[in-house]
Amino acid sequence: MAAFADLCISGTNDKKRLQSIIETAAHLGYSTVAINHLVEVQPKKQEIGKPKCVSELFDHFPIVQGRSRPIRVLNRLTLVVSDTSHFRQTADFKFYDIIAIYPKTEKVFHAACMSCDVDIICIAATEKQPFHFKRPPVFGAIERGVFFEISYAAAIKDSTMRRYTISNAISLMETCKGKNVIVSSGAEKPLELRGPYDIANLGLLFGLSEGDAKAAVSANCRAALLHGETRKTALGIIRTVKKSQPADEREDKEAPPSKKAKLDAM
Amino acid sequence: MSDPGAVGGSVTYQRLVHKNSSGFHYMKVSLVFEKEGKRIDGAFFKQLIISALRNVYGEIGAAFPFDVLKFEEKSLTAVLRVYNSGLVKLWSALTLLGSYQNETCAVRVVQVLLPYQYTGGP
Repeated sequence: MAAFADLCISGTNDKKRLQSIIETAAHLGYSTVAINHLVEVQPKKQEIGKPKCVSELFDHFPIVQGRSRPIRVLNRLTLVVSDTSHFRQTADFKFYDIIAIYPKTEKVFHAACMSCDVDIICIAATEKQPFHFKRPPVFGAIERGVFFEISYAAAIKDSTMRRYTISNAISLMETCKGKNVIVSSGAEKPLELRGPYDIANLGLLFGLSEGDAKAAVSANCRAALLHGETRKTALGIIRTVKKSQPADEREDKEAPPSKKAKLDAM
Repeated sequence: MSDPGAVGGSVTYQRLVHKNSSGFHYMKVSLVFEKEGKRIDGAFFKQLIISALRNVYGEIGAAFPFDVLKFEEKSLTAVLRVYNSGLVKLWSALTLLGSYQNETCAVRVVQVLLPYQYTGGP
């Protein structure tokens, strides 16, 4: 069974708060968390900047409950994009473990699903999704191994946000049938975090099946992480092809013996 | 549980399928408040859960039976008993509870048990 992961914890400059969130996450049983850096992409300003080094946060990372291993902390970048032309891959991407995109318009959503080199596509939680999820881009994203993310912190804070989150999630499930979905917190406070099994149960409300809901906090998160890792590591592919066999051998294999016999008889 | 029998050095295992015939699930939960040292009693706790259920599911959706079997005021832990059909509803309502009377709080689900695993006492 894959370990649990929460791929979105709001990054703040408040080091103490971040520490307490990560401690809570470890206590709840998450093996991996990612600190989110939200950047609104503007056409002129293209500065993203480096994330803070995660090893500065703790001398000793807290131990994950039930695993006796320290928690893994990663950096994640979320780009809020309102126009396709604003999204440009920059050198700063390599400082982050995961790249996510929050599309504001249908055009950007289409581009994010089909062509952009990202790992996660965020689904709106604080407003009604301004566009409809169409089948071709969603299936394109699933084919490419890009994941859709629903964050639940807003749903805990406010009942109107809860309605938006659930309705957006359900409308996504209508199209993607529960495939390639991850559920993460987006928590700003330790009390906004919930345990992984709670989230697996919450997934049922979002229209996921039991198995998909559990995968949304475990296996799918791992797959998204590995997808992010390949951006840094996989630089080329070597393909080997078997050479064609010598002529005399090929003749023997032309037809199976039983068929040959039949032909002779005719 | 029956013992796995050891036959000629190799251990054979038995698969036990337990159908939850009693129809109940037991949940051990603990309540966490942002401000520490808050004192509440069992009746208040049940009221809190009922209001959480009503917030998420409305009057009709929230009208299913569940019991607070035990409540420890010192540690704010409780044992709840709910019919299998209400488990998902109760659990998700507890998950989505974020505040009560303008105070930030959270419910941590410690354990979810089937009847034969429940031996009393939180």
